[in-house]
Amino acid sequence: MAEQGVAAAADGDDEIHEEEILRDHLRWVGENPAGVYAVHLHLSRLRPSNRQPNFVRIAARAFETLVSTFDARLFQLSNADMVLVCRDVPVDEVDVPLERVRALFSEDPLTASTGSLHDQFVTWYDLTRTNDFSDFLSAVRQLVIDAQEYRRKAAENRTGATARTLKGRGIDPGDLAALTRKLETMKVADLIHFQPALTLQPNGQGEVLFHEYTVSMPELQKRAAGGVNLYSSPWLFQYLTETLDKRLLLIMARRGLDAAEPAISLNLNIATVLSREFQNFHRAMGARSARVFIEFQLVDVFGDMGAFTYARDNLRDNGYRVVIDGLTPMTLQFFEPAALDADLVKMFWGQEDLNQADEDRTNRLRESLRMVGPDRVVLALAESEEAVKWGLQMGLSRFQGHYVDRIVEAMRAKGLI
Amino acid sequence: MALNPEFQNRLPSQENLLLDYVQRLERHKRDRSAVHLRLSGLRPYNRREQHLRAAANSFEPLVENMDGQLFSLKSADLLFIFKNAVRGEVETVVQKVRFLFSDDPLLAESDADTQAFATWYDVDGEYDRVLHLAQSLVDAEHRLVNEVRGRMDTRSALRARQQMGEPLTPQVLDRVVAALARADLSNMVRRQYVCQLDTKMVPSPVFSELFISIADLRETLLPGVNLLSNRWLFQHLTETLDRRMLAMLTRTDHITLSGDIAFNMNISTLLSPEFLTFDDNITASRRGSMIIELQKVDIFADLGAYLFAREFVQEKGYRVCVDGLTYHTMSMIDRDRLGADLVKVIWHPEMVDGGAPMHDRLRALIASAGENRVVLCRVDNREAIDFGRSVGITLFQGRHVEQLIAEDNRRRELLRLKRRIERG
Repeated sequence: MAEQGVAAAADGDDEIHEEEILRDHLRWVGENPAGVYAVHLHLSRLRPSNRQPNFVRIAARAFETLVSTFDARLFQLSNADMVLVCRDVPVDEVDVPLERVRALFSEDPLTASTGSLHDQFVTWYDLTRTNDFSDFLSAVRQLVIDAQEYRRKAAENRTGATARTLKGRGIDPGDLAALTRKLETMKVADLIHFQPALTLQPNGQGEVLFHEYTVSMPELQKRAAGGVNLYSSPWLFQYLTETLDKRLLLIMARRGLDAAEPAISLNLNIATVLSREFQNFHRAMGARSARVFIEFQLVDVFGDMGAFTYARDNLRDNGYRVVIDGLTPMTLQFFEPAALDADLVKMFWGQEDLNQADEDRTNRLRESLRMVGPDRVVLALAESEEAVKWGLQMGLSRFQGHYVDRIVEAMRAKGLI
Repeated sequence: MALNPEFQNRLPSQENLLLDYVQRLERHKRDRSAVHLRLSGLRPYNRREQHLRAAANSFEPLVENMDGQLFSLKSADLLFIFKNAVRGEVETVVQKVRFLFSDDPLLAESDADTQAFATWYDVDGEYDRVLHLAQSLVDAEHRLVNEVRGRMDTRSALRARQQMGEPLTPQVLDRVVAALARADLSNMVRRQYVCQLDTKMVPSPVFSELFISIADLRETLLPGVNLLSNRWLFQHLTETLDRRMLAMLTRTDHITLSGDIAFNMNISTLLSPEFLTFDDNITASRRGSMIIELQKVDIFADLGAYLFAREFVQEKGYRVCVDGLTYHTMSMIDRDRLGADLVKVIWHPEMVDGGAPMHDRLRALIASAGENRVVLCRVDNREAIDFGRSVGITLFQGRHVEQLIAEDNRRRELLRLKRRIERG
């Protein structure tokens, strides 16, 4: 997974930033605003995965012709927003690249509001009108402050990493080779953590569905890979997980599974399940396999459907349950997970799913979830109360995420689990 | 744990069921007996599927009357646990089974020691023995499964290494990537045509696919290394190959490019500065003659990136082809929403065996994709073409198509020769 930060360079304080240039430019426009208007593209409101620097760079290229042909200037802000300031440029000319950019992000809920009064993606300002001018000026001032704040935070958090983002330079095969060698002798057991998945019952009670055990990537990176971002190449990352799978299985086999503890879930590569290490794990689990969930990544499933089918059937014959991991509300619109015949599917929640302005999209999603069976879906990355509420509205009852960790704790305290 | 009903239906093997049953039997063990029939000891010719089924079926009336429970084990053995009241009937059934296999040495020799074929247990008095038996059968089953799999594991790994070479490791990949930066790959570029075929199987090319021959690459750079042994490392390698391909396509003098051409790219490549430079350096009209092929695994690794990249390149004038679909994935994916211009489906003989319902489904999928938008690739024989046509496919690619092209060329050559002779 590529770093999902916004397009911002690590810059020193003495540098002049695009927001400030825009503010100064506006002062100059103010002296003679005749024929001038501004268009603000709110790319910062896109899904994080759509705000990656290479996406923004390509989007900006859409304006190249406009900028070179007309009296127009493009400002690329540090939060990924763009501002176009034009003098005497026919609006139709601006529409062309604007629609092109909108099309690039057509699957993002943000662009669904096309052209309406509630357009969330683009704001127009007629700078010849005093009201618009002052509105725009305060918006730009706010952007300057936000950018400063963002840079300050970025400097502070350079070491901290959230669940699905990591910092550091891109990983290359040489780094991976070094890391694989290190892993042969390195201690891993203390990097393994678990997170519960919870089933909420209609009567307000809860039941722990399983504890998912994983190797913490931020901690692994810190211990063994220094300044290398383990998520920066999806393929090398996937290879790394094959190595880690085997360590995880060894540790979990040694640890065993107590009759009193909840079921466990392990995220494995399909290749791992067909390996000797898994056989050893299976021997250790014995009849307890009925309380073990095995999760496969969607990308792995698509990589070799035959291997998946074989592994799935094999696991089931031996008592395990199979989970498909890594779906999103978006992927559900492109394929039918029911056809994979898994016991559970995991769907990641994202803040942007909340602002579903598009009724159509929501209905389609509801239909997909109905096809899979809502009780087979685990809403993962449920980091907030909103996420759980959204899931319940969609008819879901199984959840996992930081917010869920807190619910589980609270329910345990009250004896509801 | 709250589980779906279907969770519970997916119970483990018969051995595990037996163990579970015996454990639960502890409280109801009075007036029960068990008999263990060692069909595993029979000669292989007596252990065929139909023999075992016949043996198991003999117990059917007793099972239907709820007088007992039968377990058919992986080893071929049968274990029947029953109420003492029907002991006489069970003995008759066992006698019948014995008769079924009377020609087998196991039964011939066991006249003196009947225990060799059938062992009887009094569950009440010998509960621990029965429990131990069930446990040992579970263990044996696991051992069997693991041994078979373990042997296959080692065997297939050995075979792969002998045939294909050492597996690719990150260390080796690091060396390959470095070597690729300097190597001249232009002589490793291969070309394969995607053709329409007329009723006489005469091919007419629609476009051609350019690719770097992995076999040549291996031969030249890394003899003895299997570049395909790890899917993820290979996928990473293709990112490097993409860049070399783009460089070659920019310098057209290396490859004479006629007609529309297709080439594979990673989505990450399309979003890289290298592709932007490539795009800047080719004329708008050439973009229209280029088809960019994207792998389905790459698409589903980051669907958002795919949608963005597809929109970006289509808007520029390139066409997009989704590569590597199978019948299975094709029916699962909403191709309309993926918005590609073409899709490539990999030929597999299994398609023919799928039966009429599957063929109808495939025909409908192809019809909905639109005419001339589905390519059947890896076509190795005539059967593939006949099948493809029967479900409405008009575009074909693969070794067999290349043969047809060669034949057609020979035929034309002969014709030309003949005309020259006639004129001369």
